[in-house]
Amino acid sequence: MSPFAGLRLLMPAIVPSWRFFDTVTASPRVDYALLTASDEPVEQWREFRPRPAVLRLGTMLRRMLWNAQWNENLYLVSLAERLMSAGTEETAIHSQRELLLRVARHLDRRGSDHQAYLQIRLRLVSRADAAARVTSETVYLSGLCLMAELLTP
Amino acid sequence: MTLDGALHLTSAMMALAFIQQSAEHLRPAARLRERLLFAPRLLLSALLAASVGAPSLGLDPAIVTLALAANHLFILPFFNGPYNGGADRMSLLILLCLTCAYNLPERPWQELAFGYLGMQLLLSYFIAGWVKIANPDWRSGRALRDVFLFSAYPVGEDIRRLASRPRLLLAAAWAVIGFELIFPLTFLSHPSLMAGLAIAALFHGANACLFGLNRFFWIWICAYPSILWLQERVMG
Repeated sequence: MSPFAGLRLLMPAIVPSWRFFDTVTASPRVDYALLTASDEPVEQWREFRPRPAVLRLGTMLRRMLWNAQWNENLYLVSLAERLMSAGTEETAIHSQRELLLRVARHLDRRGSDHQAYLQIRLRLVSRADAAARVTSETVYLSGLCLMAELLTP
Repeated sequence: MTLDGALHLTSAMMALAFIQQSAEHLRPAARLRERLLFAPRLLLSALLAASVGAPSLGLDPAIVTLALAANHLFILPFFNGPYNGGADRMSLLILLCLTCAYNLPERPWQELAFGYLGMQLLLSYFIAGWVKIANPDWRSGRALRDVFLFSAYPVGEDIRRLASRPRLLLAAAWAVIGFELIFPLTFLSHPSLMAGLAIAALFHGANACLFGLNRFFWIWICAYPSILWLQERVMG
């Protein structure tokens, strides 16, 4: 964590672009699989933190003050976009590692086995046709990582 | 509004927004390294709020904002850029403008630094409207339908169903584009600017509810005193 890298990353804040939602392109989703052995094939991918069917107004208002998990979800979207645009190798490595660490940490807090192998994939979701059906395409598949090795303090 | 009054109000509001943001990074689910970066941010933000809220304590906001800026030089590499996109960019912009305004020696330079924030706030709406009207998908309403249909932003599946109401979304798209493009005209008088900022705050509030963008709501309104001061300074 070099402060000089911080200076470089600070520059876009001095002259921001403000081009919010200028185009709406295919959107990434993170899926994961937990495997008991490194040679086991993935039978079922699960969407990471699927959104609820209904979000009540009270929950929306509470999230005005505490929205930690959703904001982390938005960071995962940014990481996925950075990984797919692959500006530099350094960015790709950082994005892959952060995605795996954050998914692993979330699963660990829900009691997942430390000896399981975690694999993630990224899907790009987009509009399929004028009838507003959606389609998705897998664009990234991580290697298998032992959960215990991802659970850094 | 005096420059000092606007600076202090912006500082206090930003400090509270930073405390809210930082607290989210201190939850047990966050890694230790992340918490170690945000614990000082929360503490410095509290000190900044105290420095402007209770001047008798003798805390110098010039030093506290410098310390906060230094803290961000370590936070940015940890996330390899912004954590929360535009909200982080606005957070940093406000912090940098305040840091300059408090630390520059001459009044005109202080005014320039703080006025730059007000100008960027105005541009944040206008440019967002300009890039939308230049895009045929926004003009037809398709872009906003796609935001609801498949983007990562809708906070619930029930909100996604709005994608099946194209006429409503076409009207909403043009309302957003129109407001963002017209916003600079509100700068012409104090009452129109107040009305423009109130509508903008409602817009951010709706985005926070529908898309979970709570940080945008809090941090954008932190910049409002700067444009109110700038309007009075330029037009008054």
